[in-house]
Amino acid sequence: MSALTVGIVNYRSGNIRSVVNAVESVGARARLVSEPGDTDACSHLILPGVGAFGFCAEKLTRSGLLPAIEQSVLIEGKPLLGICVGMQLMADFSEELGRHAGLGWVGGMVTGLHHDAERGIRVPHVGWDDVLFKQSLGLFAEGESVDFYFDHSFALQGAALGHEVGTCHHGRDFSAIVRRGNILAVQFHPEKSQTAGMRLIESFLAMQPNA
Amino acid sequence: MLKRRIIPKLLIKEKAYDAATRAILVVTKNYDQVSDVGDPISQAKIYEAQLADELIVLNIDSRPVATDVPLLNMIERLASETFMPLAVGGGVTQLDDFALLLERGADKVSINAAAVHDPSLISRAAERFGSQCVIVSIDFRRDAVRQLDVVMTHHAARDAGAEVVDWARRAADSGAGEILLTDADRDGTGVGLNLAVGKAVSAAVDVPVILSGGCGVAQHFVDGFLVAGAEGVAAGTFFCFRDQNPMQTRAHVRSAGIPIRLQT
Repeated sequence: MSALTVGIVNYRSGNIRSVVNAVESVGARARLVSEPGDTDACSHLILPGVGAFGFCAEKLTRSGLLPAIEQSVLIEGKPLLGICVGMQLMADFSEELGRHAGLGWVGGMVTGLHHDAERGIRVPHVGWDDVLFKQSLGLFAEGESVDFYFDHSFALQGAALGHEVGTCHHGRDFSAIVRRGNILAVQFHPEKSQTAGMRLIESFLAMQPNA
Repeated sequence: MLKRRIIPKLLIKEKAYDAATRAILVVTKNYDQVSDVGDPISQAKIYEAQLADELIVLNIDSRPVATDVPLLNMIERLASETFMPLAVGGGVTQLDDFALLLERGADKVSINAAAVHDPSLISRAAERFGSQCVIVSIDFRRDAVRQLDVVMTHHAARDAGAEVVDWARRAADSGAGEILLTDADRDGTGVGLNLAVGKAVSAAVDVPVILSGGCGVAQHFVDGFLVAGAEGVAAGTFFCFRDQNPMQTRAHVRSAGIPIRLQT
């Protein structure tokens, strides 16, 4: 089998180096998508993202890469993985520092987590927390509970019915993993989640393009 | 449920070897006596295999980050050879330093003296990179005369003119996503964490607190979580020099009934 080529969207937001390393460590070829034409050679795409929603959304728009990503993902059906703010960008909207429109690819809204001194809930939500799989996904079985590394203050809720694959709880429930057809989105950082993270990336790479 | 974190702390100093300057791993005692340990990358890989939850890398030379090529190269290698969360600090003075370290593979950046000097750096960094990326590192010592725990900068040699709980609260209000709290008097001594100050700071802020300085036995981690309410406990010397590793510490913490990650 020829190695898969994973395009990592390079819109100068966050830690793409770690994503490249994680992809390569599971045996796939990683390629930075810095120009619209770079998506052609890719079988899969990853949209990373670190920072404030509005800041990332603006950078993605200004990068000029969005039409090529839409063509690859929405028309050609290539699998896409959104990580952290890369996930949030696919919601309908976010309430982080004002209201911002999202891409609307997985639905739902991004709202803040809230601290609760009595229950020991602090925000940001930083560290390893368990994701409960409500559906199976690649190497993960339905009902499985797995620790991944989170680092965020806002989170997705209200994703379209049936699309929520994994949930996490920090003061309230939120979507940790959402899948809609060929689009997969995760709030945690698989590239920082050691063995569990590699399993997640392998599960993503096993996804086939939509016909 | 969110797990408590066991965090090895890698202190880095630069040394000339042959013709090249390399970033090497050291430990300190009271922020003063420095002992060489070895190669930070191989030590980090060992910690990863031992299920450390995260790594904190602090450059104790505090040279300007922008021109510190050995450090930046080391961070880049560290990020490419391990798959765990990485916080980096030491010598960070401006927003561009954050961008540079994040580009090289850091996930979070820690600021210390620069935040004391100009607290607006905290809010500006939080606005651009998100609070979750901004750690304010606070070193403190007990001032016996004034009966106060005072904030120290520059390897805990300079009195910053602030009381520790008050500064932690202001840092969190400015947008810090985490507080890394270190008792400089206990650094490298193994006598145990400063639980009283840890508890006071944990109660004063809504963001996670990582407690550091003084771990000598596994029970000290348990105390940090249970008594001080820390979300993370960080240690340098404890993991470097003793016959202790994050895996054994984890078992002890687990036995005390504290939620902690058990497998990768």
